[in-house]
Amino acid sequence: MATVGTNDLKSGMKLKLDNEPYGVVSCELVKPGKGQAFARVKVKNFISGRMLEKTFKSNEKFEIADVDEKSMRMLYTEQDGAVFMDDKTFDQISVPFVNLGESKKWLREDTLFDIVLYEGRVIDVQAPTFMELVITQTDPGLRGDTASGRVMKSATVETGAEVQVPIFVNEGEKIKVDTRTGKYDSRVS
Amino acid sequence: MTPASRKVVVARAEMFRQVRDFFCARDVLEVDVPAIVRAPIIDLHIEPMKVDGNFLITSPESGMKRLLAEGSGDIYQLGHVFRKGEKGRLHHPEFTMIEWYRVGMEYDAFIDEVLDLITLFVGAKKVERLTYAEAFLRHVGLDPFSASLSDLRNIACLPDEAKAWEREVLLHFLMGFVIEPGFDPEKFTVVTDFPTSEAALAKIEDGVARRFEVYHGGVELANGYDELTCAKELRARFERCNSLRDEPLPQDEDLLAAMAGGFPECCGVAVGFDRLMMLKFGAKSLESCLY
Repeated sequence: MATVGTNDLKSGMKLKLDNEPYGVVSCELVKPGKGQAFARVKVKNFISGRMLEKTFKSNEKFEIADVDEKSMRMLYTEQDGAVFMDDKTFDQISVPFVNLGESKKWLREDTLFDIVLYEGRVIDVQAPTFMELVITQTDPGLRGDTASGRVMKSATVETGAEVQVPIFVNEGEKIKVDTRTGKYDSRVS
Repeated sequence: MTPASRKVVVARAEMFRQVRDFFCARDVLEVDVPAIVRAPIIDLHIEPMKVDGNFLITSPESGMKRLLAEGSGDIYQLGHVFRKGEKGRLHHPEFTMIEWYRVGMEYDAFIDEVLDLITLFVGAKKVERLTYAEAFLRHVGLDPFSASLSDLRNIACLPDEAKAWEREVLLHFLMGFVIEPGFDPEKFTVVTDFPTSEAALAKIEDGVARRFEVYHGGVELANGYDELTCAKELRARFERCNSLRDEPLPQDEDLLAAMAGGFPECCGVAVGFDRLMMLKFGAKSLESCLY
């Protein structure tokens, strides 16, 4: 079990606090004259994303969290999950759909996802920020729609996600989507 | 050399000259005691760096005190000191310290001299003098000497972690996070009469340590003592620190022997040169004042 002291804390470090993995966002040393040093540390929980501010004494020891962030390729989906592969080691992991959160909407074969493992367990799967996706279903835009102020319509993309697209975009066309917001970005020619 | 780094080099050179002129005019001799020592000054919260089985000085105190014991008279040192793990906006593991000792000078006159040196770089300011207890009463609303542990732990501004801290840790936290930042940034704040647990190498009189600190602009600039002269008491304090440290350090037998042979009544202080420079130029961190 690797540990670090308060003096060694640096932003980017991953710590195990109260059994949960945290990333160090910032760390400031405060040392009153001749006194005990303190580190005021901002940490972000890898699982909940919540930011916390903690104050540690100089002689405290922290366990390094076994957090591994890597890029993995989605191979295929199964009945209740998706299988990803590490391109370097060819290690494969299966992640149940329930653990995929929002990323479930963006599952596409042969796409690289950012995966965070904590003690070997997948705690986060992030789709690429921007994905180029084919529209598999959308109703044709009707003439006059813009006049009535209706400029967007619903479309289903190849991953199954629903995206609001401008009415001039048609089925079979490719669009760029921001997966963080689920919003249409542009048409890809 | 970039104009910015040129500016730092020139400013430091000018400040070195001013410090030397200050002491020359007062007949205080410049010394340069060794930076590598067999035994460091033992302090609970200062970590010395090891080199070749020896230590780099965390302050020139020991070497200077041996000179004082031999009868050097008033001396100062302007040089680098080293402290392991101290890195932050106001800390750097290698920094420049101005340390000086005045033999036979009155404590209050000595504090005035320290303020004179600081004034040279940051200009004249109003001086506010507070005892340690007054500083706590004013900024925390508690008397640090009489408050119970639970009173201290229940202060509203403390983080959750503090509920498990011991008395001294809580006092240090309050000093560092509440009291020091609360001092009037326009004035020089001089804090005196520290608790005996914070005496370091200062004399203890009437139940308090004759130790003072000077703050300005939210920065601790000076830490000084009416110096302890008793070798026996010094050994006892080193031993107490060692018993509380994770890693005990060797006793400075050369200093203890020199002091046992007789040590003059004197006052001494350490002033952070780089912090003075930071305030003089309105810099945000120490780093920008170093080469």
